[in-house]
Amino acid sequence: MKDADEIPFIDLSVREILTEMKDTSEVMVDLAYAALMFDSEDIAHEVSELEEKMDNLNYAIKIKALLAARTREDAIQLSGLLQVAAAAEAISNAAGDLVKLQSVDIERRPFLSFMLRESEETIRMTTLSENSDMVNHTIDELAVEAETGMRIIAIRRRQRWIYDPEPETKLKARDTLIVRGTKDGYERLTEFTSGRKPWPFEEV
Amino acid sequence: MQELEKMLLELKDTSELMIDLAYSSLLYNNNEIAEEVMLLEAMMDEKGDEIQEMVMEEASQGGDIMRSIVVLRLQMAMEEIADAAASIADVVIRGIPQHPVLQLSLRDSDVVICRAIVLPGSDLVGKTLGEVKLSSISGMFAIAIKRGKKYIFGPDKNTRIEEGDVIIARGPEEGEEYFVDLASGKERLDE
Repeated sequence: MKDADEIPFIDLSVREILTEMKDTSEVMVDLAYAALMFDSEDIAHEVSELEEKMDNLNYAIKIKALLAARTREDAIQLSGLLQVAAAAEAISNAAGDLVKLQSVDIERRPFLSFMLRESEETIRMTTLSENSDMVNHTIDELAVEAETGMRIIAIRRRQRWIYDPEPETKLKARDTLIVRGTKDGYERLTEFTSGRKPWPFEEV
Repeated sequence: MQELEKMLLELKDTSELMIDLAYSSLLYNNNEIAEEVMLLEAMMDEKGDEIQEMVMEEASQGGDIMRSIVVLRLQMAMEEIADAAASIADVVIRGIPQHPVLQLSLRDSDVVICRAIVLPGSDLVGKTLGEVKLSSISGMFAIAIKRGKKYIFGPDKNTRIEEGDVIIARGPEEGEEYFVDLASGKERLDE
């Protein structure tokens, strides 16, 4: 049991916390599979960090919900909301359990990456060529996911990682993108990342 | 791929579909979708038991113990995800009156769920999801199709789209408009 002082104060509304919990739990599952497929200790570590963040968010939302309940009706409605928050946390725990497999020597789990590659939506990697006109545009400007179906879950830039990049993140030449989506979407995306095809910018 | 690996893969895809379906049951306060999540959860349990038996069998016959452990842990993590989805669907099935914030939060998410009705004259009519490549052209990934009174859950690339279908899809907010317009016939497919 933690002391009240040890629970970090999170200055977000219930609505914001729940959205954050849903989004974080989903990206964690993607990152967890990515850590296994690419045998990345860095990504595995990030998932563990996010697990802790999710713990804190779950505490915060419970406290806020309890404070918000004034009537029995409030309490009933908020119980449903907390059940969803707890489910998001459970998903993040599952992601945490998945990444623990990363520490198993890769030779002992050779089938794993191979199997995960065959998934309907899977995690892949592509490096941005200098010739790609995605370079120097933000993810938001490009609307990468709407245009290709591929969601960027992490970017490797030189020695650094950017996890779950923001819409304002600008793509740079030689960035390695870790993306999630279908095989068709990946093929479409790589036409652009390789510079073989021009990005379909909207005509203004 | 071996039988065991195929089964695990099916569990993975199902667990992910369940999450999407669970949130959509919540968003539309839809019992039928929530019930489907429960059915899939029961299926996940059954398949999970089968996998556990198979892997223990392998191990007892001199198989690689580490491989067995990896398979077991993977299966358990996927089951955790499936259970979480069922717990979300449970909110709908119990008929707990929804807090207004719940729907607002879901709409604020990076991953939105939306639906579109396929009108006569839409380019989607008569094409399979695989032919249209809906996900790679709009970012929207179809998770269910309502046809008449029935649902097709987790449609695949061979599912043919018909006039009057309501497609429920998941994806980025920026993809929603194009997807809805494509279904209504306002937008055409690029050739």
